[in-house]
Parts: sequence; structure tokens; C-alpha cells
Amino acid sequence: MSLHIRGLRKAFDGRTVLDGVDLEVAPGEFVAVLGANGSGKSTALRCVVGLDRPDAGEISVGGTGRAAMVFQRIHLVGRRTALDNVCAGALGRLPLGRSLSPLLFPRTLREEAMACLDRVGLADRAAERAGRLSGGQQQRVAIARALCQQATVVLADEPVSALDPSAAEQVVALLKDLAADGLAVAAVLHQPDLARRHADRVVGLAGGRVAFDAAPATLTDADLTALYAPMTITEPVR
Amino acid sequence: MTTTVPAPPRRRGPSPAAWSVTALVVVVHVLAWRGTDMSPAALATGWRGMADFLGDALPPDLDWDTVLGPSLRAAGVTFAIGLLGTSLSVPFALALAVLASRTTTYGPATYQVSRSVLSFLRSVPDVVFALIFVTAVGLGPFAGVLALVLHNIGVMGKLWAEAMEESDPGPRDALRVLGASRVQTVAHAVLPTVFPQLVGLLLYRLDVNVRSSLVLGLVGAGGIGFLINQSIKLFRFDQMATHILVVLVLVVAVDQISDRIRRRLA
Ligand SMILES: Nc1ncnc2c1ncn2[C@@H]1O[C@H](COP(=O)(O)OP(=O)(O)OP(=O)(O)O)[C@@H](O)[C@H]1O
Ligand SMILES: [Mg+2]
Repeated sequence: MSLHIRGLRKAFDGRTVLDGVDLEVAPGEFVAVLGANGSGKSTALRCVVGLDRPDAGEISVGGTGRAAMVFQRIHLVGRRTALDNVCAGALGRLPLGRSLSPLLFPRTLREEAMACLDRVGLADRAAERAGRLSGGQQQRVAIARALCQQATVVLADEPVSALDPSAAEQVVALLKDLAADGLAVAAVLHQPDLARRHADRVVGLAGGRVAFDAAPATLTDADLTALYAPMTITEPVR
Repeated sequence: MTTTVPAPPRRRGPSPAAWSVTALVVVVHVLAWRGTDMSPAALATGWRGMADFLGDALPPDLDWDTVLGPSLRAAGVTFAIGLLGTSLSVPFALALAVLASRTTTYGPATYQVSRSVLSFLRSVPDVVFALIFVTAVGLGPFAGVLALVLHNIGVMGKLWAEAMEESDPGPRDALRVLGASRVQTVAHAVLPTVFPQLVGLLLYRLDVNVRSSLVLGLVGAGGIGFLINQSIKLFRFDQMATHILVVLVLVVAVDQISDRIRRRLA
């Protein structure tokens, strides 16, 4: 198992957000995570990469032990070139002396980063400032940065929510391809349609738990309707 | 079942706290008015003195060899003091700003200590630093530069720290997640994202420091402030007028140029 989550719990100020979430993603697998707003999808991913501290549960990440993360708001440094942004993916394994400025990055790293950019189809934009690229291109640069991190697990939190349909299609297809290359990829999506067409498995989060975990073919419309149904708020009877 | 629309909340008058704050502000202003010997009458009766002064000052003495030439050269010195006072403080201000910004600091102790250093340097006026340094290195531009450097570290360090604190946490999180160390995160996420703000604040400080350098000249740091002081002592108000015109040109030029650079960066 490349990503293994068992019994993940997390509460904010006493309000339970994750109430025992289990998730497994194998190498070569592309898993889509669906769920209503506030269902805890981001929290789960943030627990895996250490941006939130889980209250309980077991998380293990294969390979380097560190999952790569792709964000909805992309979080590139817009003033730096696409290539420099990708190189930053390797910061964790660079000696401090070679990492304080992009000018110091080793040549081998720049070549590796170039290969990552090529993998996402943006080698020709390497020298451009990241901020100049379109949203879809920026998200692909962010994915290249994740590749340059050499992680075997890639998480993506709503990577396409800010993209137009065709850019979204392209990015999700890319994630699917990366999984096919042997990575374990989990992406939070708000487009059940994209999930159904590309994912190997679809996981639904509701009420802090996994509501379903199924192959797209077996996913019914009723499952989805239940997932996004407004939570029934029980008002006190007067 | 009948549904009633909730009534809008009633508008309330100023609270007792608002009244007492208003009263306090008024009292403080009355005391300040008395403490500063404010006297519009004196201004009205003394207009003749100002008219004489202006009469002496106009037309300005624009003689190149004795006034305008030295004035321009001194303005160069004044600018140089402001420039060095700003740029030599950059490395120290940057280091302290990183330590004094909640998003980049190493821990509560480092944060508190660097904040305190910055507020100390900020709270001592540059003129006071100048008077202290004069006792060490004597009268002259060097004392002025040292004074500006110290005070500017305090002010610019604080402004920079705040800019870093307000920077987008996204790129920072992204690098932290992929295993970058604190220093690497500063170098590759924080600094590049806030770079335009830092330069903007730097130029703003250059602007202020050139003007401060003029005042330091009045207390002996050389430059055009010194010439203004001299011409007042010699009652050569026509020469003083020339110096003030030169100052005006210098200040407006620095202001315009830094403004243009800032706009280009934004
Ligand atoms: N740092 C935090 N402090 C307090 N509450 C938080 C914090 N982070 C998340 N929450 C709460 O946890 C719940 C789950 O949030 P989360 O962002 O994980 O949801 P999500 O499934 O990603 O939603 P969305 O689809 O809107 O992105 C929300 O109610 C949110 O308000
Ligand atoms: Mg979310």
C-alpha cells in the first residue's frame, strides 16, 4: 500500500470533522474523493501532509514517507519562472548551501525539473514566470513540482475547481496518467462526472466517515444525491 | 402555523464608552493647546516679521560660485547620507524582520527579542543617535549615516516583518509540505512573494531618510542642512532661500523616482 489511512479522527474546537476515516490508495491507482462542502476532505489531506495534526488514527505513506500535495489555489511563486518553481520541489533533499537561491540549484536538478515539466507538457514554457501562465498551465507546473519531489503518493485538493472545463479535463487526465505510471494519486474533486470518467475508485466522505468506496461503474446516482443532500438540521420542537 | 418576521435590532445611541473617549480626547487637546503656547493673536500681530523675512529672502541669491554650486554639492552629500543610511541597514533589517515575523521566526523567544530590538531602535529618534555618534566619530556625514542606519533598521525591520506576516501563506505551506526547511521557505516562498512590497517600503524609507538627513545636517552632520543653518546664523536669508529651493528639487526628485519604481514593480 502506498497510502494507508486508518481510523483518522480530527475535531476542531470540539466539533468532530473526521470521525474514523479509512482510505487506501495503491501504486498505480487514481482515487477521486467526493464530498459536500465542509465534509472534511481538505482536513483529511492536510492531516496526511502534516498541515493539520490528527487527533487519532494511523497514516502511512510509502516511498519517501512524504506525500506530495497539489492545491486548489496552486501556490506557485508567481514571480519565479516555471522551472524554478519545479526545482523547489526538491528543496527537501538539497543541501542548504545549494538551495538558498535558484542560482545555486545544481545542474542535474534543473535537468530533472525540465523532465518533470516535459511530463506535464510544459517544457516550452520553462523560462516563463509562473504568474504569466494560465490557471490550467499553472496547475500543471504545480504537478510538475510534485513530481520533482520524487514522492510516490500525490494528493490533490480540488486541483481543478478554479479551471475551465477543458483545462480541468486535461489536469485530471494528467493525474490519471501519473497514476498509470505507478504513483498513488488521490484527488478531491467537486465534479462527480470527472471522477466517474477518470478515477479507478471513487470515495465519498459524509459525516466524517467514508460513505462509499466503489468503482465508478458501481456508483449510482442515488449515492451521489445522498452525498450532497443538505444535512438535516433538527430544530428543537416548541 | 404563523411565522413572524423578527423585528430589526433597535438602533442604539453612542455607548458610555464612546462618550468618555470623546471627553478624554477633548480634554487632552485643551491641555495640548495650553502646553504649546498656541496664540493665533501672536501670529496675526507678527506677520510683519514674516514679511521682512520674506523680503530679505527674495530674490534668492543664485550666485554659482558662492551659493548655488556649494548648495548643489551639499545636496549631493545630503542625498548620500540618506542613501547609505537606507542601504547599509538592509541586511540587518532583513535578518531582524525574518526573526520578528510570526510566519518565519524560530520561536517565541527569538520573536520577542528581535521585536524588542526593533522597537528600541525605532523609538530612539535618529537625531538622538546622531548626537551620540558625534561624540564618537565627530561632526560630519559619517555620524549622520550611522544614526540613520540604526534608526532605519528599527523602522524598516518592523515594516518588513509586517509585510512578511501578511504575505499569502499558500506558497509557504506548499514548500513546508514538501520538506523545505525554514530558511528555504523564507528564501523560496516568503521573500519572492513579498519582494515588491519590501522594495516599495525600502524606497519609502529612502524618501524619509533623505529628508531626515537634511535635519541631521542642521545638528552638524553636514550636507545642505548645515548650509541652511549657517545662512540663518549669518542672516543671509537670500542664500537660505536658494538652499531651500535646492532641497525642494532634491526631495521632489527622490519622491518622483521612487514612486515610479514602485509603480513599475506593483
Ligand atoms: N483550522 C481550522 N479551524 C477550525 N475549523 C476548521 C479548520 N479547518 C477546517 N475546519 C472546519 O472543518 C470542517 C471541514 O473543513 P474542510 O476544509 O476539511 O472541508 P472540505 O470537505 O474540504 O470542504 P470544501 O469542499 O468546502 O473544501 C469545516 O466545517 C471547517 O469549518
Ligand atoms: Mg476543501
